[in-house]
Amino acid sequence: MHPINVPNSLKDQNIYILGIESSCDDTAASVINNGVVLSNVVATQKIHEAYGGVVPELASRAHQQNIVPVVHEALRQANIDKKAVSAIAFTQGPGLMGSLLVGASFSKSFAMGMGIPLLAVNHMQAHILAHFIKDEEQKAPGFPFIALTISGGHTQLVKVKNYFDMEIIGETLDDAVGEAFDKSAKILGLPYPGGPMMDKLAQQGDPSRFPFPKPKVGPLEFSFSGLKTAVLYFVEKETKANPNFVEENLNDICAGIQSTIVEYLMDKLKNAVKITGINEVAIGGGVSANSGIRTALREAEQSLGWKTYIPKFEYCTDNAAMIAMVGELKYRTQQFAETDVISMARMKF
Amino acid sequence: MELTFTLEELPAVAAKLLSNSKSKTFLFYGEMGAGKTTLIKEIAKNLGAAEALSSPTFSIVNEHVLDGEKLYHYDFYRLESLEEALDIGIEEYLYSGHWNFVEWPEKIEQLLPGESTRIELTKNDNGSRTLSIMPVK
Repeated sequence: MHPINVPNSLKDQNIYILGIESSCDDTAASVINNGVVLSNVVATQKIHEAYGGVVPELASRAHQQNIVPVVHEALRQANIDKKAVSAIAFTQGPGLMGSLLVGASFSKSFAMGMGIPLLAVNHMQAHILAHFIKDEEQKAPGFPFIALTISGGHTQLVKVKNYFDMEIIGETLDDAVGEAFDKSAKILGLPYPGGPMMDKLAQQGDPSRFPFPKPKVGPLEFSFSGLKTAVLYFVEKETKANPNFVEENLNDICAGIQSTIVEYLMDKLKNAVKITGINEVAIGGGVSANSGIRTALREAEQSLGWKTYIPKFEYCTDNAAMIAMVGELKYRTQQFAETDVISMARMKF
Repeated sequence: MELTFTLEELPAVAAKLLSNSKSKTFLFYGEMGAGKTTLIKEIAKNLGAAEALSSPTFSIVNEHVLDGEKLYHYDFYRLESLEEALDIGIEEYLYSGHWNFVEWPEKIEQLLPGESTRIELTKNDNGSRTLSIMPVK
């Protein structure tokens, strides 16, 4: 292992963790100080512009172009020098191998260059542990709790016994929930990704006019590919009779699809609560922004006596603050990675 | 070759496709809801994939481990440019010598291997699907 300075008492030490996230499309960096986010930056075209424009080489990879500017920006916004960073955390997996490797290589080099520890983070654990970021707009669940991670790429039910003691108790068998929203929206002619637009229209519609069937799978499993096909058949059939059917009923169709998905997610959560006997329920991932699921969860507090937790939106989507948060938890418990740690496209807990 | 089949006949169709194909790269053409992912799941099962394949629409490539081999399941549906595919190192995946199952191959036509089995799927009014194997270019 490269020479590092690991202090003896880590528990109460004032630490700064630099977090790097590059598992899919976005390159992101964040600085966290004792659980408080100092900066949380995602690469955008503007960052390219500030640092001299896009490299015009066809095969150059987006993450390679973004990573250095994003880290600079995260340190600048946090108002700290790179020498103040206690350790660097990066997404080890799951994700796209090419994307993961950029974050991993950068982080290993940074750790070696600065002589600080390296921390390897599981992206799916980070979505769950994002709840422990200290922020006025969110509160941390108590252990044990049930976590539902819902995004464009994932739909996962997890029993969380402790920070690093988690068990996947249910997953999607086919499409992710975000994909069900996006593809249904596409069938209705909404621009991709259409999830947020569908949510907006659904709020003005009547969910009872067009009910869609909920796929029957195991009590903790999810399936969404049938819903997409059901929406497709429904739209084809109705459009044959009335070519303007979609336009004339758009809000109600969106409301029907959204309420079907939300009810389905809630059914699975109810099953999970019943099976595990745990009634602390936390959601995460980009689809947590959906107004339907938020309302349903709040109602469950009243009607079912659950305690529910929804993270602040910027910690729901893919972000580096959650990676830095897990990095801090690992730092304080001395779960350091060696520099030969490998990136993993598929990764279990 | 052209086959019309129902969901129940899917396992037999998957087996037949595998035994008739000389290539390890399969390209699946067809509209959303035509049944591309469902057919690929069945073929993967036939090849001995340990777990159910989930959709790679968001991730673009999903990697599955078979006995001593790998299976790459691609979905280029949400891709906006060829550059994006190159950015994720798609050629290293496609030309790795492992199994390739590609949805929405039309989005990356210029990058596709010449030796491949091209399959077109269409949905019929009664819910069955028709599969035709297109000649190699």
